[in-house]
Amino acid sequence: MLRIDHVLGSRMEPALSEELHRLEHQGAVDVVNVPAPDLARRRLLITTRDGEELAIALPRHEKLFDGAVLLLENDRAIVVRAATERWLRLEPRSISDAIELGYHVGNLHWRARFGGEVLLVALEGRPEDYTERLENLISSRRVGVTVLDEDTADATEAAEPALADGGHAGHHHHDH
Amino acid sequence: MLHSLRTSDHEIRSGAGAARVGIGGPVGSGKTALIEALIPVLQRRGIDFAVVTNDLVTREDAERLRRSGLIDPARVSAVEAGACPHTVIREDPTLNIAAGDELEARFPGLELILFESGGDNLASTFSLDLVDWWIFVIDVAGGDDIPRKRGPGMLRCDLLIVNKIDLAPHVGVDLDRMLAEARQVRGAKAVVPTNLKNGVGVEAVADAISAAVLFRV
Repeated sequence: MLRIDHVLGSRMEPALSEELHRLEHQGAVDVVNVPAPDLARRRLLITTRDGEELAIALPRHEKLFDGAVLLLENDRAIVVRAATERWLRLEPRSISDAIELGYHVGNLHWRARFGGEVLLVALEGRPEDYTERLENLISSRRVGVTVLDEDTADATEAAEPALADGGHAGHHHHDH
Repeated sequence: MLHSLRTSDHEIRSGAGAARVGIGGPVGSGKTALIEALIPVLQRRGIDFAVVTNDLVTREDAERLRRSGLIDPARVSAVEAGACPHTVIREDPTLNIAAGDELEARFPGLELILFESGGDNLASTFSLDLVDWWIFVIDVAGGDDIPRKRGPGMLRCDLLIVNKIDLAPHVGVDLDRMLAEARQVRGAKAVVPTNLKNGVGVEAVADAISAAVLFRV
């Protein structure tokens, strides 16, 4: 078990990127994939791609992020890769549906982002655990639902309107 | 430059402070009883810990622990939420963070701080700005339909405790089915049945805390 007690910096920082580049050529940069909800944790037990178990315990003012360098030695490095965050894309059909949707999402304390005429809810569990809470709005086709990955969610404004999915709210969208 | 940035398992630097673990759940489910049961187990394991309790408008839970004789009263801090208990563990945990910081300052060797939320509803969750890992306590007498209701507290917590298992036959609850449903909705996340009055399951809870945030397996 390797203890990590602080983040050295970002892989983009010149002081680190040069060294990482050299190690990448030697195949000596290990990656730890961190699920999106776990990025907020200061303490985490997690295994890297190459099988190294990390016991991460950061000071309270530090956080993990995509590209965080956790270890840099002469012959190896470990870098964080943030797993893609998934979002529930909720598209109300009218202003009154939007008001009702906003009420429920707020009342359920879901983490949300505005996407113009759609609302994006961060998925920290199974999509059906979320869509069940909006069953009335979805089954009556007052709110359309799709599941998006992070990069798709960033392009919501350009996305075509989602089809009203009704009971097929768990449908995955992978048109990156 | 590079040398100063290096770290390894031989160069463990402190600075992370004490691990912080949240304990939430409905009123009367056994949150304070869990802490009372954990105290001797953690002491026996040599873990240096303290407790922050949250109450609505009193310091009832803190006083209960201080008077218990189980723990140095100075190691118990109280935060009065003054409003919905979840506001001080999720929306704005500033008071609890300050209480934790203050305990760390007073007890420099502190390894673990337990934050007990005030009794709340099934939607109660902890901010990861406050805690590193958190437990949600429900009880058999609260009804075997709680897992099926899939409240955020039950779904998102790192460890779900189903307490008062000894009461199952007295309140008409099929315990096996309740536990199976809890495990089904939680996927890979842990569920531990307990009877905290008699210490059943407490070692398993201490094991889970030790492994997850103290890295003692």
